[in-house]
Amino acid sequence: MNSETLNTLNSYSKNKYKYGFVTEIDDEKPKKGLNEDTIKFISLKKKEPEWMLAWRLKAYSKWKKMKEPKWANLSFPEIDYQDIYYYSAPKGFEKKPKDLSEVDPKLIETYNKLGIPLEEQKVLSGVAVDVVFDSVSVATTYKGELEKLGIIFCSIGEAIQKHPNLIKKYLGSVIPPGDHSFSALNSAVFTDGSFVYIPEGVKCPMELSTYFRINAENTGQFERTLIIADKGSYVSYLEGCTAPKRDDNQLHAANVELIALEDAEIKYSTVQNWYPGDEDGKGGIYNFVTKRGLCAGKNSKISWTQVETGSAITWKYPSCILKGDNSIGEFYSVAITNNFQQADTGTKMTHIGKNTKSKIISKGISLGKSQNTYRGEVSFLRKADKARNYTQCDSLLVGNQCGAHTVPYIDSKNNTAVIEHEASTSKINEDQLYYCRQRGLSHEEAVSLIVNGFCKQVLQELPMEFAVEAQKLVSISLEGSVG
Amino acid sequence: MNIEDNYLKNKKNIFFSENKDIQTHREKLINIFKDDRFDKKNNESLKNINLKNFIDFKYKYLIPEETSVINNNQENCYSIVSVNGQCSSFKDDKIEITKIIDEDYNDFSKNDTIEKNDHFVNLNSLFLNSGFKIVIKKNNNIKIKISNIITDDDLTIFQKNSYICEEGSSLNLIEEYENKNNSSSNILNVIKLEKNSQLNHFLIQDNSPNHNLIITTHSSCKKGSTYTQKVYNFSEGYVRNFHYSELIEANSEADLQGIFFLKDNNTSNNKTFVKHLAEDCKSNQVYKGILNDRSKATYFSNTHVDQVAQKTEGYQLSKGILLSDNASYFSKPELKIYADDVKCSHGSTIGPIDENAIFYLRSRGMSKIAATKILISSFINEELSSIDNEQMSEIIQKKLIRYLSKVK
Repeated sequence: MNSETLNTLNSYSKNKYKYGFVTEIDDEKPKKGLNEDTIKFISLKKKEPEWMLAWRLKAYSKWKKMKEPKWANLSFPEIDYQDIYYYSAPKGFEKKPKDLSEVDPKLIETYNKLGIPLEEQKVLSGVAVDVVFDSVSVATTYKGELEKLGIIFCSIGEAIQKHPNLIKKYLGSVIPPGDHSFSALNSAVFTDGSFVYIPEGVKCPMELSTYFRINAENTGQFERTLIIADKGSYVSYLEGCTAPKRDDNQLHAANVELIALEDAEIKYSTVQNWYPGDEDGKGGIYNFVTKRGLCAGKNSKISWTQVETGSAITWKYPSCILKGDNSIGEFYSVAITNNFQQADTGTKMTHIGKNTKSKIISKGISLGKSQNTYRGEVSFLRKADKARNYTQCDSLLVGNQCGAHTVPYIDSKNNTAVIEHEASTSKINEDQLYYCRQRGLSHEEAVSLIVNGFCKQVLQELPMEFAVEAQKLVSISLEGSVG
Repeated sequence: MNIEDNYLKNKKNIFFSENKDIQTHREKLINIFKDDRFDKKNNESLKNINLKNFIDFKYKYLIPEETSVINNNQENCYSIVSVNGQCSSFKDDKIEITKIIDEDYNDFSKNDTIEKNDHFVNLNSLFLNSGFKIVIKKNNNIKIKISNIITDDDLTIFQKNSYICEEGSSLNLIEEYENKNNSSSNILNVIKLEKNSQLNHFLIQDNSPNHNLIITTHSSCKKGSTYTQKVYNFSEGYVRNFHYSELIEANSEADLQGIFFLKDNNTSNNKTFVKHLAEDCKSNQVYKGILNDRSKATYFSNTHVDQVAQKTEGYQLSKGILLSDNASYFSKPELKIYADDVKCSHGSTIGPIDENAIFYLRSRGMSKIAATKILISSFINEELSSIDNEQMSEIIQKKLIRYLSKVK
């Protein structure tokens, strides 16, 4: 490796986290630690009905008996669940503001720093934003327009009060609380998140979007998102995350459930840029997320797209259960790890119905001293006649202290199903670098260009609003990382 | 009977029972069996296996009466008949065959690459009752054919073999496992390749339905050496092929290939593991399987590239054809890479025989069965045509025809 490359790498790894600031807002917290009282406190604060509290407590009793899953290629100190605040809401938000002018100006400022001017976004991009600042939904825009179509887009807390039948029917139907310890934990203590219901035959006219942000120190944020697309409907949902800089590790264990009924389509896109820790591996978010979609009806489709650049630890496997005949599952992922970040991410495609199809495109980029693992499972059950899967996972290594790993599990029990998997691992091609530099690009620019090209297959799947941000993010992760 | 009782009862028949160090090691192994809850899901060595047959077995071993035969009929060609895992000693200026001794035990047991929770390897160390050691002397080029014979029903053979190819030597090794009785063999081969040596290792497995074969190989390659292994599994009984290879010095190569043909209720577990520990090494892992009826197979492949192993080339390929509704195939091709200047890839496919290809052949007047057979043959043709030994190629063709005759 030449000295220039080394310099570039060093400059990348020293890039500071740009979104590291703390907004000082008083917040209300219960005592630290997890016990039945904490759960009762959360339930009370959220004014939940009795059955919801019972559901939470049941999940809690399951969690007590469970151990964290250990199979991932990650190492981190033991999580002390008793040293975490499970609820934090900015004061004075129990009465919801009717429009932005009632929102604390400090909050608005925070978003402006992040580059999401809420008001502007409202006008310019036509995106309805449901912002979660710590645990309480702050402002919801474009609600009226959505209501006209019969679309329900609100916080999960509101949905529990207003649409108990839908919640009772679907909450926990894709990710049972007892699935594993993080899902049980989330089920017991989730505070907020989004709820979306698209009625029969409705195509949602805009991208629904939520910005999650962890603010108060030592607050694990446990959101729960539930999206239901009824027969013949379509929805595209965006989720983006940035968090301020902290020294203590913060735990994040979200659950996302998607349900697509007959002929429905859900597109779920994530850009995750939480604080990854500093160059010595100190601090950063622990991100243990369970995302699962159920293609319940015939001809339904669920598509996951994710760009993962942040978090000290990423443990995330957005998966699809292809139950309905002819249903389709897709997974597109870019995961970039730098410094001491560790990512173990991938997907799980379970083919149950006939003629089900799935496609997996995963791109991993490792820099610094990071470890990046793709872990994916594709399984064809006995009745999945003519099912089809294509998997491609590529890894790019920059620097010789990082690791890139690929761990696919492939299981076929049907003799008409076809499965293809390919993977490659390499470093940045010297010839390509030379070509770019010859045409006047700096080393950093050249690397950035090549990496962006490497990820293009995934980035082009993102909706317009996100694609630009994601491309910038890739460049920033590299800039401080590859540039 | 549990493992401990079984061991204590038969201790006097087991190799090296008097050696204290080995004794302590074995006690540790017994404790592993005691503590382990046999987690089938996460332990690769246990998937798809009826554990009871292997953990709760009746130990029986006969010291062979007929001594094994070593023939040196042609120049540089040796044919060896190993009886119940044993082989008589032999020495000339090219090779040396001896019994394994206490000192060899560490080579077998203190091995970091082979997983600690591989119960079959641990059983092998615990009940060791046979084995031999072959040394190929410097700069010799020879061929060896070993026929493994088991003399009686219900024998449990636990065998450790050691092969050492000295500097500049070259060995063509053909091993045949064709047993028709109801015994089980658990074999661990440890192969050491010195500088610039070469080993072509063929394993032909064709056992009857009630014979279990568990074979584990560990090879380590020094500078400029090449290890090539080709496994042909036609067995009707359970076969486990776990093969590990370590490339410990620069410019060495490992090539692990296998084909398995399964039918009825048969199961086969396969694993290849290549560890790149030095620069400029190459590896290749290719397994192909054909599964009929209710057969099941697993294939784990793993390429591990250490941080120092720059300029590595490592390739993996796994292909499976399912001929029946009830067959199942599990594959897990894994890459673990800690160096940046590498070219590594893996590919894996599982599916039925291509319908379009069948249609093409049928439109030219071929019956469906004939078309299927032709396509199966062509699926593995690449591997079969690369065999440069005529006699071998003939044997394998015959076995293939026998397998195809059962395909409907």
